[in-house]
Amino acid sequence: MEESILRYEKIDFLGEGQFATVYKARDVKTDKIVAVKKIKIGSRLEAQDGINRTALREIKLLQELQHINLIGLLDVFGQKSNVSLVFDFMDTDLEIIVKDNTIVLTPANVKAYMIMTLRGLEYLHQNWILHRDLKPNNLLINREGILKIGDFGLAKAFGSPTRINTHQVVTRWYRSPELLFGARQYGTGVDMWAIGCILAELLLRVPFLPGESDLDQLSRIFQVFGTPSEETWPGMKNLTDYVQFKHFPPQQLRHIFSAASDDLIQLLESLLALYPPSRCDCTQALQMAYFSNKPAPSIGSKLPMPSNISKIEAEKPSLKRKLLENIDGGSLAKRLQF
Amino acid sequence: MMQNRIGNLPIANENPLGLSWHDSAWIPLLSPSNIMDYFSERSNPFFDRTCNNEIVKMQRLSMDQLQNMTGLEYILLHVQDPILYVIRKQHRHSPTQAIPLADYYIIAGIVYQAPDLASVLNSRLLSAVHHLQCSFEETMSYSRYHPSKGYWWDFKATKPGLSPYNSGQSSSKDVSSTPKEEPSTLFQRQRVDMLLAELVRQFPLPVTQAPSQTNGVTVKTENSTEKNGDKAPDGNVNNITIKQEPADPSSSDMTNGSLQGHAEIKTEIKQENMKPPPEKKLRL
Repeated sequence: MEESILRYEKIDFLGEGQFATVYKARDVKTDKIVAVKKIKIGSRLEAQDGINRTALREIKLLQELQHINLIGLLDVFGQKSNVSLVFDFMDTDLEIIVKDNTIVLTPANVKAYMIMTLRGLEYLHQNWILHRDLKPNNLLINREGILKIGDFGLAKAFGSPTRINTHQVVTRWYRSPELLFGARQYGTGVDMWAIGCILAELLLRVPFLPGESDLDQLSRIFQVFGTPSEETWPGMKNLTDYVQFKHFPPQQLRHIFSAASDDLIQLLESLLALYPPSRCDCTQALQMAYFSNKPAPSIGSKLPMPSNISKIEAEKPSLKRKLLENIDGGSLAKRLQF
Repeated sequence: MMQNRIGNLPIANENPLGLSWHDSAWIPLLSPSNIMDYFSERSNPFFDRTCNNEIVKMQRLSMDQLQNMTGLEYILLHVQDPILYVIRKQHRHSPTQAIPLADYYIIAGIVYQAPDLASVLNSRLLSAVHHLQCSFEETMSYSRYHPSKGYWWDFKATKPGLSPYNSGQSSSKDVSSTPKEEPSTLFQRQRVDMLLAELVRQFPLPVTQAPSQTNGVTVKTENSTEKNGDKAPDGNVNNITIKQEPADPSSSDMTNGSLQGHAEIKTEIKQENMKPPPEKKLRL
């Protein structure tokens, strides 16, 4: 225990959130830069329940997961009643890149991000884990241009036929229609839908479906993809939160994504299929023509970095901003219900 | 990717040089400020919508970003305000280096692709060769052969529909219509004759006989031909001779004489009594 505390040398304060404080630190043993997330113990009342759930999920799942495109949990150590998690240090995230107007995302860049995301997610799904909170903010990118899926606070095992899950997962803009209709049994489709929304956001550089409420979210979805019927989505009306929507005709995606190639439109359509069983999974997505056609994905060193990072030492890394947002209540706070 | 896209459009298989595109709703509104928007209309077959312009537009970024990108882009190259715009398609390698791929001109709102030099030369050569071939085939249709008489020209027997190439011409071989059928202008012929004369001066023909003699002979031949033609009862020959001759009597003498002298002499010797083909010589 003593060793661990001495092993990480604090360099910088990165940010503070509801559940944790994050520091940038140097691993004395390997001389690597890491991010140390110190879980807050909170009030006496909270402490009675033990360590908070999101941290527990992260520890539980990440300890067993090893993939280049998933954030690596390097170490966990305790000090008195505190628990600290040591992660790979990531310089930025996709949300910062999408919002940086000095960056142009070329088709090759978009393809590189998609491949890395899908590979990480494919590994996750193969291990029967749903991420349930995919959004640009949680796709972390380091200086080498490697994308890693982070924040496993909502991740959960799936596949048990009797298990009931909460539908209050995933930030609203990236939430799939079945979750919005209150489905309690769902699968990888919820993550795939989120990937589709992220891809659309990479192309448009603004959130694709920025719903202001859950109902508004659904109506925005249907305005683009057309209102589903019992024929196109069997069983839709049996979902707990089902509401009848005004009939909207589907739009052509190629009109919305004017510069997207046909193979990319094909991928988008299959990621954003309304009927969950017809949505593709990661393996199918990676085998689509888009990923083997030209242009080749950008190599890591050619991927864009926000201007403030490429200069000196990263002054405003992702975790800080992310945690600061949480302090403000966040625009789209995620909730957990059990 | 680009190929995929193009493959989906049926027109793309055609030669783009044979295409034009316009959107009549836009035409009255065109100005230098919106001409690029007009060109990037979805239905324009010349616009590749995977280009950098469209990517920047879709990502809601400033068009200044184009300089920093590499790949396909379109720029407004030239404006002659109300009527003509030239748009260039180019491949950008760096902020300072871009290689032009094609130019498009918009005249009165109609978009065309400007042809490249190779296509222009190809097309001109092809049409020249085509017309040459036509004339040869036409000429061939007039030639006759008999074992005892040898070769001769027969214009009398020619039916109007015999030659497919200028059936229209052969059907109306009146004196009045002939001047219109001039295949070239006086200016063109004089130019060509000048060039030919210059070439002959630079590269004299390797002649074994005395050149002056040859010339003399040919001129004579020609004259006799004319006389023969005049005397002949055949009206067609007369017409053709008249049609060609008065336009440039001096130059045709010179070029025909110097270039075709040998061939002419041969025919003379071979077929002493034959009428030499007058057309071959005069049509030069």
